[in-house]
Amino acid sequence: MYPEKSQSEGMTGKSASFSLSFSFSGLWKMIGFLLIILFFVLPVFRLIIISMTEEDAFTLSHYSDVFRDIETWITVKNTLFIVFGSTVVSLILGIAMAWIIAYVNIKRKKWMQLFIFLPFIIPSYITTIAWVQFFSSSGPAAAILNLVPGEWPAPNLYSMGGIIFVLGLSHYPLVYLMTVNVLKKIPPELAQAAQTSGGRKTLIFRKIIFPLALPGVASGGLLAFLSNLDNFGIPAFLGIPANIRVLSTYIYEQVIGFGPSAFAKAAVLSVLLGMIALTGTFLQWLLLKRSRVIETVKNDDKPRVHLPKAKRRCVEGIVWVFLLFTSFVPLLSMGATSLIKAYGLPFKPENLSLKNYQYLLFSDPKAISAVSNSLKLAVLTVSLSLILGTALAYIRYKQPNRWTKAIEMFVTVPYALPGTVFALCIIFAWMQPLPGWNPGVYGTIWIVMLAYFTRFLVLQVRGSYTALTQVDSTMEEAARISGATAVVKWRKILLPLLLPGIIGGALLVFLTALTELTVSSLLWSAGSETIGVVIFNYEQAGFTTYSTAFSCLIVLAILIGGLAFIVLEKFWLRKVMKQNDPA
Amino acid sequence: MILLDGVSKAYGSFTALRLIDLSIGKGEFIAVLGPSGCGKTTLLKLLAGFMKPTNGSITMDGEVVASRTTIVPPERRNIGMVFQSFALWPHMTVYDHIRFPLLYHPYSPCKEKWEMEERIKTVLEIVGLQEMAKRYPHELSGGQKQRVALARAIAPEPGLLLMDEPLSALDAELRMEMRKEIQHIHRHTKASIVYVTHDQNEALAMADRIVVMNNGKIEQTAAPEVIYTKPNTEFVATFVGKCNLVPGIWEGERFIPKHFPHEQWLDAGVSVEFKRKGLYPVRPESWILSEAQQGTPYGTVSFVQYQGKEIHYTVQVEDQEWTVYAPIHAASQFHVGDRVALSLQMPIKEKEAVYL
Repeated sequence: MYPEKSQSEGMTGKSASFSLSFSFSGLWKMIGFLLIILFFVLPVFRLIIISMTEEDAFTLSHYSDVFRDIETWITVKNTLFIVFGSTVVSLILGIAMAWIIAYVNIKRKKWMQLFIFLPFIIPSYITTIAWVQFFSSSGPAAAILNLVPGEWPAPNLYSMGGIIFVLGLSHYPLVYLMTVNVLKKIPPELAQAAQTSGGRKTLIFRKIIFPLALPGVASGGLLAFLSNLDNFGIPAFLGIPANIRVLSTYIYEQVIGFGPSAFAKAAVLSVLLGMIALTGTFLQWLLLKRSRVIETVKNDDKPRVHLPKAKRRCVEGIVWVFLLFTSFVPLLSMGATSLIKAYGLPFKPENLSLKNYQYLLFSDPKAISAVSNSLKLAVLTVSLSLILGTALAYIRYKQPNRWTKAIEMFVTVPYALPGTVFALCIIFAWMQPLPGWNPGVYGTIWIVMLAYFTRFLVLQVRGSYTALTQVDSTMEEAARISGATAVVKWRKILLPLLLPGIIGGALLVFLTALTELTVSSLLWSAGSETIGVVIFNYEQAGFTTYSTAFSCLIVLAILIGGLAFIVLEKFWLRKVMKQNDPA
Repeated sequence: MILLDGVSKAYGSFTALRLIDLSIGKGEFIAVLGPSGCGKTTLLKLLAGFMKPTNGSITMDGEVVASRTTIVPPERRNIGMVFQSFALWPHMTVYDHIRFPLLYHPYSPCKEKWEMEERIKTVLEIVGLQEMAKRYPHELSGGQKQRVALARAIAPEPGLLLMDEPLSALDAELRMEMRKEIQHIHRHTKASIVYVTHDQNEALAMADRIVVMNNGKIEQTAAPEVIYTKPNTEFVATFVGKCNLVPGIWEGERFIPKHFPHEQWLDAGVSVEFKRKGLYPVRPESWILSEAQQGTPYGTVSFVQYQGKEIHYTVQVEDQEWTVYAPIHAASQFHVGDRVALSLQMPIKEKEAVYL
């Protein structure tokens, strides 16, 4: 039945009413579609083809070689162990935190949420450096353990356990985010109805809350799983020195260490890793689709578990200790290391100086050039995605059909693939896009640019799309009825309403591109190093004081940028949306 | 003058509208009445220009604005629209809302800045929001938001005003008040109004003509009193008048109800469709209930609902349930389980009508 009332008006109504507002000729549609395939899908096929050819002839010998190699199986085993272990850590932390924030009557939840999301904006390789400093022989962990009687060595982060620990802590916010949203959307009446039907608290959790929250929890768990699988920085910083390889670092070593001859092997490994990742992404998409049922219900932010004051204080205390310990303390110990003259000296006034910073800012041209490279890349990526991503989101929103759905899927592929896999795809695709034609982007900063744009575009598409769905379609209809042409409609109505969502997406693209490591670690060349690559290289070469100092600078810049954004958003809510309470 | 000629709209295999023919006179207030899913919102969207008909054409003031091949988009039509959700722009004041169409509407009467200021003042007065000009939507009550939506729609003096269930988001009391407001605006603007609703009371109260729709088709188009007293189809009889469809046999101008074979009811303008189907539409308030006498057919009261000004009875007559609205001051009141005789309050016969 055709949905008549506007409350129930779904995609069908929208598409129908706007079919003419964004119609462009079939030819342009075709060209756009082909370009998207060329940029977003073809590189993946190049990878698959290269994994299956030997001097232009089809062969599966690369596969049999890889499968016969014992090293492959050790790596796969390590990968599975680390990925599952860290996902379990993320799930436990994420679910516990989500339940507390969603249901318990503790105070200052907004601030807690801000701290929970900190790992989203601070790149994981910097967090790793921070944790390494925290647990180092001269760090705070060792100092505390020294006070305890007995021999307690500080835990060694350069181990499976260390990798699992840092990965789990870095990705639990994903589980938290998905779970807290679902928990808040479960109407409190459902539990109350079960209560009046005689259900005990545990029974209600088991029979009502948990089944309803499951799609969200599972989807968050899968996201954490994928991020753990995709992550390069943490296993690279902690695993490579300890000779622990996972698929992403193994592929990296193949490409970096063995030259073009190892490309085929790397391609095979990438196909393996890519398939695992895409399967996970597909499962996650399925779960999200199924959880749609309660997606339309509005969030209920009221606490449902009322603890007495003493208990409440206690829970608040535990949460704050956890949040500060996992976010600030490692960063502070990193800051401390960055001030030390020579690595290994104890943290005492006579050993402190700013010479590491001085070196970075004035002596080593690499740091400055990396900042300028990364800034250029981020600004260009943001500008391009801002326009193209918003346009794609608008087309997808107004014309929800098979074609636009396909486009959405295509632009998701580069992001869904692990960074190492995607970087390899880009190398193969742009070294020689057509037989005999080398556009000369490989070995320059432009290939990094291309990779960033294709990989991060989907973030902008999603941000803009979400912003669009939050603006009721009648806003636009009312403007058209009042005689607004397309230009007026966008300038006066849509842009002011969409801006925060679009900017939010752009900020995410900017931050991700600015501190990216995985893709650039495979694509960089002399003169096109990014911030991530330079920090990675310092760390690899043992210049711990430089890597910590550079990381500190980056964290400071990010925090200042984040604060500026929050202030600007508040300003926007007051001045443009005229809201006094930016809830 | 607006003409719809054989307008159809299909979404894939689903037909939302079938062959709609309708003419809307200048200044006429048309209510489109029907249950959800009947196609009334589709009809409104076609009139607004948000989509193209699959077949047929729409003509406004002699210009074809929509057909299978061509369409004049909303921003170039001489229309205004009030949305169910109000559709106010959160970043604009009441003043901005009224100014917007004056600036951009193709038929805007204002060219100069002072004309615009004058018009904004007039419109604010019409809807009674003079004091609220500087307010933002979130600072307004539901009724005030509705007034802003109305003000924005009428500001450019459009020839056609479209209203999509404009009162359904308001509470009962406010709805009554806003009905008067809309009638007031109708008198003021002289615009044609197409008012979509599923509430028969709204339609009956305000419209010059009612278009009753069901399943994408027009069931009947007529003045409110005709729709109410002389429904053409079963759907109109039950949806608008809440009629009981009493089965029986038509013998010429007389109807013999199946359950009361000794009664004879006169034809009070019953349509051919009912005669063909052997039905007589009886509105709930047309029944007269009395205590059942020995030996005559009767029904049993199964539900009683006290409504203040009247009492609603449900009476079980053999296998059928009939609804009866009895005035509160009726001779006798009944309780669940009572046996009651039903008779019809006969329409005044022609002869007697002359006396009155």
